[in-house]
Amino acid sequence: MFTSRLTLLWLLALPLCVFTAFFLIPLGVVFVASLTTQDGQFTLSQYGRVLLDGYHWQVIAVTFRLAILSTIICIVLGYPLAWYLVRIVKWRSWRRACVIMLILPLFTSNIVRSFGWMVLLGRTGLVNDALLGAGLIERPIRFLGTETGILIGLVYILLPFTVLTIGNALARVEPSLEHASRDLGAGPLRTFCSITFPLTMHGVMAGGIIVFSMAISAYVTPALLSGGKVTVLAMLAFQQYSTVFDFNYGGALSITLLTFTMALIGISSWMTRIGVHEKKGN
Amino acid sequence: MIIRLIALTTLAYLVLPLVVVIGVSLTETKFLAFPPQGLTLSWYAVILENPTYIRSFLTSAGLAALATMAAMLVALPAAIAMTRYTFPGKSALSAVLLSPLVLPHIVIGAALLQFGASIGLVRNFPALLVGHVIIVTPFVLRTLLPLFSHDQLSQEEASRDLGASAWSTFFLVTLPQIKAGLVSGGIFAFITSFINVELSIFNTTSTLNTIPVQLFNYVQYSVDPSIAAVSSLTILAAAIAIILIDWLIGLDFLSGS
Repeated sequence: MFTSRLTLLWLLALPLCVFTAFFLIPLGVVFVASLTTQDGQFTLSQYGRVLLDGYHWQVIAVTFRLAILSTIICIVLGYPLAWYLVRIVKWRSWRRACVIMLILPLFTSNIVRSFGWMVLLGRTGLVNDALLGAGLIERPIRFLGTETGILIGLVYILLPFTVLTIGNALARVEPSLEHASRDLGAGPLRTFCSITFPLTMHGVMAGGIIVFSMAISAYVTPALLSGGKVTVLAMLAFQQYSTVFDFNYGGALSITLLTFTMALIGISSWMTRIGVHEKKGN
Repeated sequence: MIIRLIALTTLAYLVLPLVVVIGVSLTETKFLAFPPQGLTLSWYAVILENPTYIRSFLTSAGLAALATMAAMLVALPAAIAMTRYTFPGKSALSAVLLSPLVLPHIVIGAALLQFGASIGLVRNFPALLVGHVIIVTPFVLRTLLPLFSHDQLSQEEASRDLGASAWSTFFLVTLPQIKAGLVSGGIFAFITSFINVELSIFNTTSTLNTIPVQLFNYVQYSVDPSIAAVSSLTILAAAIAIILIDWLIGLDFLSGS
């Protein structure tokens, strides 16, 4: 039905126009702005301001620390939950209910979810009440305005992504491979480590990449749970556009954030590809 | 056993904040109280009497609906081109069209603001719309791409051989086979647009506001249970969307073999 070159051109016209005009060109504008002064002269000073300054590195360190920790925690918590949903739950309706519980937060605004945590993590919130009641702490812990509070919120928002990608990978593992491993005398742990886990590695990586890239660029959750006391890169960039109106410096911050995100996605997908090649080579 | 315990605790962790938000919205107190003290729906009455909430809700819904329709118009031909043709730059095109999924929305928003300022595309509805189209198109594209198969190609050829035009072949042969994917991708797109803050925040004003941005602005300065009531309504909308998707495509996709 669609055979001629002309049809191809017609098909691509709208997607190309829309994405060039409202995605590639705007990003180009930001890139150019990041390399110029207010009067349009070429300069690298905007990047110098970002990269030669201790405060910025501190912000970048906080951003990375939060993103790396969220990714690790999401995988560590997500794997057992995915395992439970795919391997342990026998009753279809209950699994369905679990999947709905997993997806419902994804369909709810970051604001609403972070708002829930603002209520829970307050000085007299449910979390402190429970910890005090259980005798685990003597005084309420301050969560809001700390990295711990932001971390709890970020993990909460990103966890469903790892559960879904790991769960999908787990559901596709051929059971006969595991049976073979057990028949050949490997224990459950050995079978998991050398058969099941490597076969789900691509799901773990895919989930990890999504979580990392979203955590590093998160704005709403850190902004709400930090109470202005902790700053991440996205908050710094947004300030330049919303209150300071320094588009050149803001551009440099945006491009820095963009570069970090793309570099990490690149590295992770390169690592996944290497992993696939090794498996093929064996 | 340990896995079961970790899994159920994690599930509880996922549901808890939403339960808290709904609980807080029912309290009789003027401050946020959980568990709620007394039960009342009066906070819902408060927001229904507030025209700015209603207006923001309508803006959000209209924006999400238009962005979803536009995204389908962009993603459908792109998906057909990418699955039925080989052409130079195909992988670059697919990378560009899917990249808004992983790129920081705050950067895309900033870029559109800076670019839009030069052509008058700022702080108005079209400015919001183009941004939302960019970020939701990949959701539709991603669900469409796996749906175009080789079997369809021969069916389409059969249809053409029997004298049907390209358009009627598309509507009678191709479209019915991808309809479920188009609808579920569309629901994902709608929700993504409906809950977005990072992009909208650059182009909203006091009179043109979306519901999540309005909530974001309120939550930072003052909090009372009416915010929980608005939040609960968005949770309800999300639940309806999920039930629709479950009904359309089934959410039992995590079942093992």
